[in-house]
Amino acid sequence: MSPADPVLGSSSASRTFRVYRYKRGDPGWRFDPFEVPVGPRTTVLDALRWIQLHRDGTLALRHSCFHASCGTCGMQVNGREVLACVTLADPLGSTITVEPLANIPVLTDLVVDMSRVFERFPDEIGIVRMSEELPEASPPVGIDAFERFEDCIECGLCLSACPVSATSDAYVGPAALAAAQRLLEEPRGVDPGRILDWADDPMGAWRCHAAFECTEACPSNVRPAERIMALRGALSTGRRPAAAVTPR
Amino acid sequence: MSGRDLPDLERRDDDGPVLRKGVGIPTSGWFDPRGRALGSFAFAVNRVTGLGLVAYLYLHLAVLSMLLRGESAWSGFLRLATDWVFLSLDVLLIFGILYHGLNGIRVALVGSGIVPDRQKALWWALGVIGTIALAFSAFHIYGSR
Amino acid sequence: MTRSAPRASRDVPHVLIVGGGGTGGALAHDLTLRGIRITLVERGEFTSGTTGRHHGLLHSGARYAVNDRESAIECIEENAILRAICPGSFEENDGLFVALTDEDMEYYDDFVEACKACGIPIEELGPQEALRMEPLLNPDLKAAVRVPDATMDAMRMPLRFFATAKHGGATLHNFMEVLDLVVYAGAVTGVTVRDHVTGSEGDIHADLVVNATGPWSEKIAHMAGADVPISPSPGVMLALHGRLCNMVVNRMHRSGDGDIVVPQRALSVVGTSSWTVEDPDELDVPQDHVARMRVEGAKLIPAVAQAGFRAAWSAARPLIGAKDADSGRELSRTFKTIDHAGDGVEGFVTITGGKATTLRGMAELCGDVICRKLGVDAPCSTRNVTTLPHTAFYAETERRLA
Repeated sequence: MSPADPVLGSSSASRTFRVYRYKRGDPGWRFDPFEVPVGPRTTVLDALRWIQLHRDGTLALRHSCFHASCGTCGMQVNGREVLACVTLADPLGSTITVEPLANIPVLTDLVVDMSRVFERFPDEIGIVRMSEELPEASPPVGIDAFERFEDCIECGLCLSACPVSATSDAYVGPAALAAAQRLLEEPRGVDPGRILDWADDPMGAWRCHAAFECTEACPSNVRPAERIMALRGALSTGRRPAAAVTPR
Repeated sequence: MSGRDLPDLERRDDDGPVLRKGVGIPTSGWFDPRGRALGSFAFAVNRVTGLGLVAYLYLHLAVLSMLLRGESAWSGFLRLATDWVFLSLDVLLIFGILYHGLNGIRVALVGSGIVPDRQKALWWALGVIGTIALAFSAFHIYGSR
Repeated sequence: MTRSAPRASRDVPHVLIVGGGGTGGALAHDLTLRGIRITLVERGEFTSGTTGRHHGLLHSGARYAVNDRESAIECIEENAILRAICPGSFEENDGLFVALTDEDMEYYDDFVEACKACGIPIEELGPQEALRMEPLLNPDLKAAVRVPDATMDAMRMPLRFFATAKHGGATLHNFMEVLDLVVYAGAVTGVTVRDHVTGSEGDIHADLVVNATGPWSEKIAHMAGADVPISPSPGVMLALHGRLCNMVVNRMHRSGDGDIVVPQRALSVVGTSSWTVEDPDELDVPQDHVARMRVEGAKLIPAVAQAGFRAAWSAARPLIGAKDADSGRELSRTFKTIDHAGDGVEGFVTITGGKATTLRGMAELCGDVICRKLGVDAPCSTRNVTTLPHTAFYAETERRLA
């Protein structure tokens, strides 16, 4: 949305956005300051797109769905991992610092190399699960059970927030372990033994040290920390547990 | 129109910089408070108290070695040991033991999947127990003067 | 290769696709299967234009059955094909068309008859049956019809086409923006791009350039002195916390605002509205439209009124047709391939119009036109090729299907 809302009239005061900039071949990174008009409904993504359109067309950033469902617009805003499309700019103060996610190599500006996120997942992940919502509903004839997309939107915020990932690039990270735990909770034809073997690794479930930042950062209620703990419980007892993570 | 072929395409495959929390030293990210929540705080204090306890162990052995040097050396130490600064350090030590131990119980309960999703509640509950125990200890330590 | 040669002297023709939305991705996949060398350039992230922003409906075509039969038939055919070639990419729960008022009921017979005429399988339901399937529906509904709608992941489903094209040998560049078309002697011979990853500028040459930029089609076509009758037509969508339905819920009436609720993971998306603009880059989110989504959505599912707000945004449909249409709803939702040789510009083709559901069909049509132009004798085979999972896009080697 353009910060100059035609319904309200002219735009409100402007804020200073300090935006991380890096192009391949540059000697290093820098922060570029931009004065951006911000209204009560302006999101960080709106502001960054305003910069692209009106100040600097070379600013590169990822976005797609505008409603925190695709997971592409993850970045650090004032040091916190967020999805820019649902983060309001107004409450963030007079200077807003925008950087790419941590612990993942930067491709350019606010874009990180997502292949490093996806390579950590076990091979068997699927994105469709049973829908646990509206349990009293009966599906129509021909449909066994209602299904829905998994909560994990592969945004990488958890990987950026994890203090262990800050010191170890070999750690598979919270999203991958949470996805593995989901496969234990709902196998969908996958062999649970394979998943347990995959997770039972010093750089797998055992590398986590219970900081819980991943759950704090997750914008999609995956609760990766709790799932990692449940996964460790399964590994410790040699049994696959029932879903041990209570909904928030 | 540029009139020349697009250069530098191979640069797209190079490695890029990696942002890390903290101040450039790898583990400093553990102590960067920006945007952090309770779990990180517990994680960080656990590491500090762990190092502190290791340091204390060394000091403790060094102190005990004074016993080998005879009564006057030990008596000198005892005078120091009843000084209120020293007693305060004892209280700090008790804090370190209680924190590291009780948080360790929390991490064990959560990390083994016994209570995977109650980490904040456990922190506060064990924190209450630890605070009471610390107050009790401090009362007796200072009261021993 | 020098700028002056308008046609590559190679065995394998090189086609450059401008635009990394669903259409561009599907076309890259289609042509790669036909043995053509593909380079695709997209100024932002793939699907960051209109494709990623829609509410995620995999159309049964029922919405168009009465007024736009051509679109309806395209939709139901592509609906079945996509389920087969993109397995595991949809919430396959079907959908409901719900009649709430007597006026809606006047539309009922036309609706049912039109769906049947278009080959859309339907099931007529009474209110109690519908409420058993969807307990949060407006309890005063008069009737419902079950249709084969589904929810797609607006980004991840098209990304499968990109993944398959990439592993088939296509070169796909995101963050590469077309600044101009290279035109020589009445023919488009390539593009001038700025690479936003390196900051460099330069040309990429090709035997044919395809304009697959959706609502930006006219902007790109003008670079070659050609014209495309595109009306960017935005609509507002509202995402709410809570999965208020499992099936897609539609209002049974001729198109109107806020007449669909699409479930998506743990969210519900209410859409949409319609107006026309000149510039698809500067889209407003009119608050009165957002309010209307709440009101109209709540007529279908009362819980919409109180559900928590997640996001409100706009996306511009690429509608083909007259520029002076007021709302955009009168324009057809079908798609079109335009060979600009008709305008005197060789080597340049535009594929535009359409909707997310018809991406593969659009690519087939455009692929046929391109192959005829290039003298390549290769039929389309995308109906029968299962696409790779979206995760394969980021992998060096093919990943196993889940």
